[in-house]
Parts: sequence; C-alpha cells; structure tokens
Amino acid sequence: MIDDLVTGLRANACSVTGPITVDEARAAIVARAGGHELVACNADVPVPGIIEALGAAGVELLLPGDPAWSARLPGAAVGITGSLVASARPAAIALVAAQGSPRGTSLVPASHICVVRVADIRATLAAAMIEIAAGELPSALTWIGGPSRTGDLEMVTTLGVHGPRAVEVMLLE
Amino acid sequence: MTADGGHHVPRGHAIVTPGADFHDRTAVAVGDPVLQQALHNLDRRLRTAGEAADAHPDWKDRAAEIRRETLRDLDGWLDRLERALTARGVHVHRAASPAEARRVVLGIAREHGVKTVVKSKSMATEEIDLGNALEDAGIARVETDLGEYIVQLAGERPSHMITPAIHKTLPQIRDVLAREAHSDLAVDREALTAWARGRLRGEFLRADLGVTGVNFAAADTGTLVLVTNEGNGRFCTTVPRVHVAVMPIEKVIPRLADVGVLLPLLTSHATGQALSNYVTIISGPRREGETDGPEELHVVFLDNRRRTLLHTQYEEMLACIRCGACLNVCPVYRNVSGHAYDSVYSGPMGKVLTPLLSGGAEGADLPYGSSLCHACSDACPVKIPLGDMILALRADVPAAASAPRRRRRIFWSLWARAWSSPRGYRVSTRLGRASRGRVPGLRAWTATRELPRPARESFRDRWAREHG
Repeated sequence: MIDDLVTGLRANACSVTGPITVDEARAAIVARAGGHELVACNADVPVPGIIEALGAAGVELLLPGDPAWSARLPGAAVGITGSLVASARPAAIALVAAQGSPRGTSLVPASHICVVRVADIRATLAAAMIEIAAGELPSALTWIGGPSRTGDLEMVTTLGVHGPRAVEVMLLE
Repeated sequence: MTADGGHHVPRGHAIVTPGADFHDRTAVAVGDPVLQQALHNLDRRLRTAGEAADAHPDWKDRAAEIRRETLRDLDGWLDRLERALTARGVHVHRAASPAEARRVVLGIAREHGVKTVVKSKSMATEEIDLGNALEDAGIARVETDLGEYIVQLAGERPSHMITPAIHKTLPQIRDVLAREAHSDLAVDREALTAWARGRLRGEFLRADLGVTGVNFAAADTGTLVLVTNEGNGRFCTTVPRVHVAVMPIEKVIPRLADVGVLLPLLTSHATGQALSNYVTIISGPRREGETDGPEELHVVFLDNRRRTLLHTQYEEMLACIRCGACLNVCPVYRNVSGHAYDSVYSGPMGKVLTPLLSGGAEGADLPYGSSLCHACSDACPVKIPLGDMILALRADVPAAASAPRRRRRIFWSLWARAWSSPRGYRVSTRLGRASRGRVPGLRAWTATRELPRPARESFRDRWAREHG
C-alpha cells in the first residue's frame, strides 16, 4: 500500500519522503522551510513542536489565528498541512477544512508540504470514500494528487497553473 | 431560447459561419489548415485516455447502474438532496429555464453588491449563457480555467468540454495572451502558464463571487463534488465571500460513497488521469471558527427540459457525466472540432443533447452529421447508446431540408420507384453497366470513395445464356 502511494504520487510529480520518524519529519520540514520569508502552517500537522522548531530556526510564521491571514497568505512561500487520509490507488491525499486548518494553506503558496501518517493510508479511493461518507463531513474536503496542472496548451501537461508548483509528501511512521 | 420563447444566440457563439447548416460548417472546419493542425493534439488524449479507461472494465457496469438508479427516481433524489443541502445551511434554488437560472444568479450578485465574478469551467453556465448575462449587468466576469480564459480573451466559445481551447495552436494562444499582456510573450508553455497564473491570481483575490458547476451532488449527505486540475475551482470555492454552484438536475447521485467508483471513471475517460489533480468535496459554507471558504453557498438546480426526457427512449442521455470521451473518439468531431456544431454541447453527446434540450429548435441537423459508427457508444463510461439515439433523433426531430439533402431525397425517391418494378430494375442495372461506373454528378462522392465497378454481365443475363 505504501509502495503504491509513493509510486503514484511520484508519477503525479510529487516528491515523497519517508516513512520517517516524527523527529526526522520535524528536521526535514525545518530544512525545507528555512530560508523562506514567510511560511504558513496549519494546526493539523501531526508533528508536535513544529511551530516552535520553525520559530527557533528563524522562520517567520503565518498561523491561522492571524487576523490578517487572508491578506498575508499570498506572500507565503510554503504552506504546511497535515492530512485526514490518503488513497494508495489512485494515489492522492485528502485534506479537510477546519478551525486552525484553512483551505488556502495547500492552495495559495507556491510550495505545499503535507505530512501523512502511514496508518491513515487506505488501499483505494473507494474504501476511503466509504469511510469519509460514513463520518462527520467537513465543510470542505479536498483530494490532492500533486502539483497544480493543466492540459489546455495543446494537451501537454504543464505544472503550476493556479495552485502549488511543488508538493512534497512526508510519510510519518 | 430566451424567456419570451425567442431564439437566443449568444455573442461570440457561431464563430464559423452563422446561419449555415452543420454540413456547410464542417466543410469550413475541414478546410482550415491551422485548425486541422491543432486537432492532431487530440491523438495524445485519445491514447492516454484509452489506456486509463481500460484499467476499469468492470466499473463501467457499476457506474452505469448507479446512474440508472438515479434516473429511476430523479425527483425523489433531488428532493432528498435539497433537504440535505438545506440542513447544511445551503440555499437551494430551482430554475426551470436558462433565463430563470440567470435571474437567480444575477439576483444573488446584486444582493451582495458583487463587482467581480471568478468562474471555473462549467458546461451548465455555458448552457445558460451566464457569462454574457453577468457582463450585461455590469459585473466583471473572469473565466479562470486556463483554456476557458484563452477562449474568453479571444471572444470565442469553448470547443471541447474538457479542453476548451483544443482548436488553438500554441502560437495562436501566445498571440491571444500577448495582446492582453500588452507585451511580447514567448511561445513556451511554462512562460504562458506563469503569466496567466500571475494575472488570474489578482482576479481571485479581488473577486466577491465564485461561480462553479457541479460534477456530482450526493443526495444522502448534501455534498457537492467538483473536479479540477488547475486549482481554479478551489480558488473559486475558497476566496470569494459567496459561492454559487449551477447544477443540471441529473448531476445528483444517491450516495456520497458512489463517487469512489464514479470519480476514477470520469477522470480516466476525460483526461487519462487515474484521478483528477483536485477533487473538492463541499458540505456547506464556511463554519464557525474557520478562516476561509464562502460565508454563503447557493446551489441552482437547472432543469431546462431535462425532466421531459424521463420515461422516453432518450432518458439515458441524463446518465452522461460529461467526460468528453465520445468527442475524442468521434471521427466527425476529430475532423471538425466543436465550433462547427454551433452549440454549447458538441460531439456525439451534443448531437443528442442539443436538439433535446431545445425541443428541436436548435441542432436539428446535427444527428444527420454522423457516420453511425457507434464509436461513441463503445467509449461511453456509463454505457449510453449514443449511436442509437442519434439514429432515433433523425426520425423524431425532422431537420429543415438543406440543398444537399434535397438532392439526396430526389435521388432516393427515383431509386425507390425504379427498383419497385422488375422492368425498372433491369433498365437501371443495364444503364449502370453501360456507364462503366462513370456516373455524372457523383464526383463529390467518388472523390474520397471507390465506386464499385458493375460486373460486365448481370447474373440474370448469365443465367439466361447458360440455362435458358
């Protein structure tokens, strides 16, 4: 299942790291986000202490509680989120909107980092959808396959139209 | 059709030869070398979509059954959907006609003092010609799907429901975007995409209203499902204060879990992707404590004669999930592209839907422009017998006779009379043999086909010679 997800996401032009430990994930996120001016981070990232670690690394953070969130988000270079569930076939990750987890974090910045727990991977989209439909539905749930893309220019895939140009998925043990 | 029943021709709609019939328009399209060059790109889609679609052979049966289960009780599922949406705080509007749907959307826009609308690609909003209605009301309308944006800037109409600018080559697209940019842009996909990204980003952040279609709406949970690749659909449902979704009534499905089957089938047939890049699953407006998403969510149920198709031989047309697979395989579409159809829906599904949704007032000649090869029926992921419907429509929707059709009718009536009597038959076959296949007035037909050469001696003559 993990292999299917990794292969599928890579085929969709995602970069994939892991499975790694929480400590490794924290270090990897800080390494990726460091050096960027503004980084947006949702509350649902399953890496304890990530906010403090980013702050200690000198990264300027934009958090969903910020009253100027919507105005500042277009200036963020990276958006960091968790995910509810992942589907191995077809390969995709599902994000949910909630308090502390705005929809825009995975959409507006040019780069998206998503942390997925291995235990949240399901074999198929159909299996994941049965589970999702049976539970409490969020105001918005988004399946994401990879970086934003279009086939509108002579039917050749071109990446980075409106959403992120780069998506990195970190699998957490 | 307009509200007063008059014929409504949207601006920029008939861009090939207004007033001419399908037969004439296809001739113009076939004679356009740049269009023909652009249409070669369809081969790319055909290959990838074919491979992906073959991955789910048994899913066609399941998907076809889900769609037919919906149609068996369309009104019941719609009522359930309306109740579930309302319980989630969604405003539901029912529009019998395109005019009514336009009125609803304009009313919402006025109520909120909307100045800019961002739209994601939707055939339903094309069907109700919403873009022009918004502009007539003084509201800026920005198409945000890259292909549709190109088509809007060019003052045209989409020519393919999945790839709206399939009729344009890359240099043509560069010219359209460079005119808007007031600067020189490179004939380079990355550069053109980057320019459009920057331009449309500003529009998203400015917009007060997002308008989208709906791919599926689940009756059990009151949930809307939107499929996009670029992320524009996500922007339209994330940034503006208000979101309006225009939903043709057949988009309802019984259960949200059904999308586990329908989504991969839709996207594999549409673009060859195992799943589209983004699937947005919406259950109500922004909730208390959430940072973004629309404060108000409206859904417009659009009928536009769809209910009149229930319990007729065309009912299954409402199973269509708008994947575009029938366009990609159609030998006619592949040679003429969408504009020749002079209707919102093109290709085989357009040949069926256009006359049906207009009560025969539009596209009555479309069913005649078909080789009846049934490639569309085979390609359809929900098993709609499109070829059979095209044939049936020839009987049910009589088209005004064009000049070539009149000539054909005269020919066939003479043939019928001649071959109704043994003498007429003998005389005509003798004439045919004597002509040695050189029949006057057939050049248009024989230019691309081989006229069968008649045998030197007929079977009757040989029988008489050998046994008589």
